[in-house]
Amino acid sequence: MRHSRLAAWGPLLVVAAVAMAIYLPLVVVANYPLAARTLARGATLPCDSALACTFFLRNPVLPAPNQLLGGILALSWPPGAPYALPLNAWWTAIETVVGLSLAATVGFLFAVLLVLSRAFQLSVLPWIVASQTVPIVALAPMLVVLLGRYGVQGWLPKAIIAAYIAFFPITIGLAKGLQSPDRLALDLMKTWNATTFQVFMRLRIPASLPFLFTALKVSTAAALIGAIVGEMSTISFAGLGKMLSENARASDVVGTWVLMLACALLGILLIAVVDLVERLVTPWRR
Amino acid sequence: MTLADTPAVASAPRERTGDPALVSVRAVSMVYADGTVALENATLDVGAGEFVSLIGPSGCGKTTLLRLLADLAEPTSGTIAIAGRSPAEARRARAYGYVFQAPTLMDWRTVRGNVLLPLEVMGFPKAEREERARRMLALVGLERFADHYPWQLSGGMQQRVSIARALAFDPQLLFMDEPFGALDEITRENLNLELLRLWRETGKTVIFVTHSIPEAVFLSTRIVVMTPRPGKIETVIPVDLPQPRSFETRETRRFFELATEVREALRRGHGFEVED
Ligand SMILES: Nc1ncnc2c1ncn2[C@@H]1O[C@H](COP(=O)(O)OP(=O)(O)OP(=O)(O)O)[C@@H](O)[C@H]1O
Ligand SMILES: [Mg+2]
Repeated sequence: MRHSRLAAWGPLLVVAAVAMAIYLPLVVVANYPLAARTLARGATLPCDSALACTFFLRNPVLPAPNQLLGGILALSWPPGAPYALPLNAWWTAIETVVGLSLAATVGFLFAVLLVLSRAFQLSVLPWIVASQTVPIVALAPMLVVLLGRYGVQGWLPKAIIAAYIAFFPITIGLAKGLQSPDRLALDLMKTWNATTFQVFMRLRIPASLPFLFTALKVSTAAALIGAIVGEMSTISFAGLGKMLSENARASDVVGTWVLMLACALLGILLIAVVDLVERLVTPWRR
Repeated sequence: MTLADTPAVASAPRERTGDPALVSVRAVSMVYADGTVALENATLDVGAGEFVSLIGPSGCGKTTLLRLLADLAEPTSGTIAIAGRSPAEARRARAYGYVFQAPTLMDWRTVRGNVLLPLEVMGFPKAEREERARRMLALVGLERFADHYPWQLSGGMQQRVSIARALAFDPQLLFMDEPFGALDEITRENLNLELLRLWRETGKTVIFVTHSIPEAVFLSTRIVVMTPRPGKIETVIPVDLPQPRSFETRETRRFFELATEVREALRRGHGFEVED
C-alpha cells in the first residue's frame, strides 16, 4: 500500500525523460526553417548555426526548454506583481475553489432531490443536461453582464461560471452514489424502522462519498477551465485567463506556452488537494 | 381454505409460557412478480420463547418466509401476525432483530461502528450504546477487532459482526438466516452453544434458518422441514432433547434418532420434487 519514494517518483521521471527525448528533436525540427531564414536575414542572434539557433529564436514555433525556463523565471518575480504568475494563479485558484464549493452545494441539493423524487427527475433532469450543452464561451460574457447589473463583479462572476460547468458531474456522480447502497442495506435500515433522514445520513451519504470524490476530480478540471474561460471572455484584472488573452494579443509564443504550463500545474495541484481530502474523509478505503 | 386441510399445522409446545402464538402464519402464499411460487399455503405457529428452525433445500422459500415476517415483502395471500400485530406494526415497534444471509456490513464503519448503527438509529444514549457494543462484540469473540474495517475480516467474522449487531438492541424476537453458514465447524458449534445459552437466559424467541441437520436438532425446540417448488411446509418435528443442552447432547441416541427423522423428512421432500 505504501510506496517507497523511488517507486512513487520513478515512473514519473521515466515519463519526463521520454517526453524530453521527443520534445528536444521536435524543437529542432519545428524551428529549423525559421532559424535558417532569420540567420540568412542577418538578424543578431546569440548563436551562429541554424541548428543552435533553433533554441534562441525571439518568436519560435516551439519554444525550447531554456526559453520556457527563462519565461517562467521572468514571470515569477516578484510573486505579487500584477504581471506575475503566482498572483494571477492565486486568483484563478480562488475562483475555481469557490466555484467548486458552490457547485458541490447545488449538486448535492439536486442529487438529493433526484433520488427522493421521481417527478423531479423527470421534470428537471433534462434541463440540467440542456444547461451543459450551451457553449460556455457564449454564455460567459452574458452571465458577467447580467451579474454586473446586480453589482456582482471581479472574481465572483468567474467563480459562478466555474460552478456552472462543475455542478453537472457532481450532481450526476452524487445521485449515483446516493443510490449505490444495495437492496439489503436499505432493508436492514428498514428493519430498524430508520427514518428517511437517518437512511440518508447513515447509509446513502457515506456510501456516496467515493462517488463524490470521483466526480469532484472531474469537476475540478472543468471548474478550472470555466474560471479561465470566464477570465478570457470578460473584462478581467487578474487571473491566468487574463494573462493568456493579453499574451495572445501580444503574440508572445514563449509566454503563452509558459501560461499553458502554469494552467496545467494549477490543475494538477488542485486535483492533488482533492485527492488528499478524499484520503482524509474516506479512511476506510484500502 | 380452512385450517383443517392445511398441511402440518402444529401448535407450539408452550414450554415456558402460556402465551398465545407470538408469531402466527396463516395460509400464507408468496408469488414473486416473475411468477415464481416461493411459498405455498404455509401455516405455522411459533410460541413465545420457542426456538424454531426452518430447514429445506435451497430455494424452498426459507428466506422468503423470514422476509414476510419482517415486513420486507408482502404475502400474495394469507395473514401473518406477530404478537397480535401486523408485521408492519411489529417492524415499526422494532419488535425483531434480523440477521441476513449475507453480512451486509457498512464498509465505512468499523466493526464497533457497525454494531453501534442500530443503536444510533434507535436513539440509545451514548454511554449505553458503547457499553452494549462492547458486550456484544465480546459475546461473538471480536473485541480485538473492534477497530477493524469489514474488509479486514474473514467472511465468518463479518457474519459474527452482523449477529452482534442484531442482538445489540436486545429484541425479544430474532430472525436468523443461516447465520453460521460461513463458519468452520468448531466455531459454529461454539456459537451454537452461545446462542442456546443466550436464548435460554433471555427467553427470546428465535426463528432460525439452517442447512445443517445437526445444527437444527441441537438448537431447536421444533424443526420445520420445507420442500421446494413450490415452497411448502412438509412436516414439523418437535425436538424433545432436554435443556440445557451441551456438547454431550450431540452424542446421545435421541439426538441421532431426531437427526434421522429430519433427514428422512428432507428425503421425502426431495422425492416429491423428482416425481413432479
Ligand atoms: N425477489 C425475487 N424475485 C423473484 N423470485 C425470487 C425473489 N427472491 C426469491 N425468489 C425465488 O423464490 C424462491 C425461494 O427463494 P428463497 O430465497 O426464499 O429461498 P431459500 O429457501 O432461502 O434458499 P437458500 O437456502 O438458497 O437461501 C427461489 O426459487 C427464488 O428463485
Ligand atoms: Mg435463503
